[in-house]
Amino acid sequence: MVPIAGLRSVVALLAMEAGQFFEPAGRPGVARLTAQAMLRGTARRDASAWSDALDALGASARLDVGSHAAVFSGQCLADDLGAYLDLVAETVVTPALADSGLEFVRAQALADLEEAKKDTRSVADQTWRELTYPVGHPFRTRSIGDELVVRSASLAEIRAHHRNGIHAAGSVLVLAGALDADRAFDVAERAFGAWSGTEPPDRAVAPVILDGMRRRAVVVPDKTQADVVLGWPGLPRTDPRFTRAQVANMVFAADTFASRAGQVVRDQLGLAYYVFSSIAGTAIQGPWTVRMGVNPENVERAISVTFTELGKIRDGAIADDDLALARDKLVGELEVGRESPNGVAGMVLEAELFQLGDDHLERYPRELRAVTKDDVVAIARKLLPLDHYALAIAGPEIPAS
Amino acid sequence: MIHALEARHAPVVSVWVWYNVGGRNEVPGTTGMSHFLEHMLFKGTPVHPKGDLDRLLARYGAQWNAFTNEDVTCYFETVPRDRYGVALELEADRMRNALISIEEVEAERTVIVSEREGYENDPSFLLGESLQAVAFDRHPYGQGVIGSKFEIKLMTRDGLYAHYRRHYAPNNAYVVVVGDDSAESLVERAARSFGAVAAEQVVAPPLAPEPPQMGEKRLVVHRAGGALPLVQVGFHTVAASDPRAASLQALGVALAGGSGGDAASGRSSRLYRALVETQLATDVDASFGLTKDPYLFTIEATVRPGVTHRAVEDALLRELRRLADEPIEEAEFARVRRGLLASVAFPSDTITWRAFRLGSLLSSGAASSIGAWYDALARVTPDDVRRAATETFVERSRTVGHFIPEAG
Repeated sequence: MVPIAGLRSVVALLAMEAGQFFEPAGRPGVARLTAQAMLRGTARRDASAWSDALDALGASARLDVGSHAAVFSGQCLADDLGAYLDLVAETVVTPALADSGLEFVRAQALADLEEAKKDTRSVADQTWRELTYPVGHPFRTRSIGDELVVRSASLAEIRAHHRNGIHAAGSVLVLAGALDADRAFDVAERAFGAWSGTEPPDRAVAPVILDGMRRRAVVVPDKTQADVVLGWPGLPRTDPRFTRAQVANMVFAADTFASRAGQVVRDQLGLAYYVFSSIAGTAIQGPWTVRMGVNPENVERAISVTFTELGKIRDGAIADDDLALARDKLVGELEVGRESPNGVAGMVLEAELFQLGDDHLERYPRELRAVTKDDVVAIARKLLPLDHYALAIAGPEIPAS
Repeated sequence: MIHALEARHAPVVSVWVWYNVGGRNEVPGTTGMSHFLEHMLFKGTPVHPKGDLDRLLARYGAQWNAFTNEDVTCYFETVPRDRYGVALELEADRMRNALISIEEVEAERTVIVSEREGYENDPSFLLGESLQAVAFDRHPYGQGVIGSKFEIKLMTRDGLYAHYRRHYAPNNAYVVVVGDDSAESLVERAARSFGAVAAEQVVAPPLAPEPPQMGEKRLVVHRAGGALPLVQVGFHTVAASDPRAASLQALGVALAGGSGGDAASGRSSRLYRALVETQLATDVDASFGLTKDPYLFTIEATVRPGVTHRAVEDALLRELRRLADEPIEEAEFARVRRGLLASVAFPSDTITWRAFRLGSLLSSGAASSIGAWYDALARVTPDDVRRAATETFVERSRTVGHFIPEAG
């Protein structure tokens, strides 16, 4: 519970161990179908009455499936917190999960999949996953799922995933905003106090190692821009090197202006409108990717320049000021992130979800500042090899260079 | 003009500069000039050469960016409290001293073409751009904002520089500062930063209003680069300064809720129930934008596979008629009202968004403060919403667009 004076609303984040990592092996899409079906009414109210109740509060609500957790997120006016949490609890603990609800969200998901086939960012992302992760790996498919699974998922399967993944053990509720901590604990206890369940055993996933360069270009007809995803299997959020990797990521390409690849690809050479990199924070090796939107004529050059900048980092050619800038930016973002209840809640949720320690938020800026040039070079050499990577391109035909 | 709001919940200040220049200030052949110029304001001044500003703000962990729309070009930085003086100084400097070299214009041209190409990958953008062009015969709102690829390629450094000198001056801008300092201090420091920048004679030739539309217009966009068909409908409507603006915002919430996208909120709205729950469409959105001149009330529906455009369009228009013909019941209006007020309250709890909200109300002429706008929304009655629907959803002022994906 994070009280923030001077606000009118409360942000709620409820993370449950029902993300892709916890999805039944070989059934990508079940987690998202379950999450969407949970928003189609409860044991007490049909879908229409549930929507009426949510909108009567003027509150927002969504349930997203991430690589690790399924996260219910929403916002309500301060006075409505009790009623809102009651509705959230009813939604996650006793969803209807009825045939009609499943068929509705199945049709929606199939339409989303149809759209994704023509969306260059989605195609590039899915292609990169297929190049990187082996069959059966929880991250081989985007959370939207595999079309065959979405078509065939049964109500029994959805209910089983809800039973196994949506339980009090392992779930984290964070409230931030216009609240009194004691009162918020009371209303949360009233709403969720009877929720029970035990954590499922951890899923065993073998480490992913790329054995060389893997590249695939997919032509998406009648598009003008190509989307590029270049990446490596990253490292678990709980890996002690994760903070060093975040600084290395910032030096490399995390930001269009503060990072080496971003500066050169966009600012100096004008090759792309957007270019950025990110490392997913999850229980296992989430994607560590560079993404950019590039004119087909410029694709090869943009990729080549990105590798050149990565090579410089691996060789230790990092200006002191570039490293200081990366550290300062990451520390400064923590401070600026406090401007919103969502930002505050997100930071607390990450620390709780990955058990980073009660003092994580106080310790983390110091850990970022302690990262050295040698740390960054070591991370880049170990985790961002120049000859073992996956590269996916989706869009118009790439001209022969 | 400087406006400030104290917001003490985080040690952060958000600085915004809103220039009264956008797509509406452009003429055919040079459409996209305001947007191109926005990019050039990140290329340095004599005091802060290129890269200075980027690195300085990045070092603070700032959230910063810029955008251009039909009415305004806007720059903002959200920074730790003790750095906001720097943000003010940077903005005051680039208000009049941007370098805009030929070399940088050439380098940025490909970036802007790339931005345009990214939009072109999106069927909703393609259809929306065409619908806007068809809906307006005379007013520059029909030209859009980014310009065509050809216009971007023809833009000259001298043209951009002239546009900059003509429109970038303190007397053609709103400075909005919100955050962790007293309102007096925020105003005083902003005034000190911008006080040295001389006012210019800003020549804004009067814009002739769009003549009334005399009948329904229709268009079709075919392209392989989209999977699902779309229906868009635009109705000519009023400017943000019109007293009916708050009712039109309420009308948007009644039709499609306030959130859109994957959020579960707004599912009790009229169009969600009539189009999505019935499985005619996968998604629907309705919006009334706050603009200086009368623009469009727009509705977009994504047609579900196997359903025809006509079926979706008929159901959509039926719901619009129903809203105009039948009173909204008390329980439904209570939900609309709650959603409307939450749509102001929620973003306002974030400092950056509070500053954005104030700036957009001021620059569009919708209200003089967030409180005044909140009050205007709170005063909306069911009859106001019904009247807004009756006045707006008129066949002769309607433009209907269909996006038809082709096999590819």
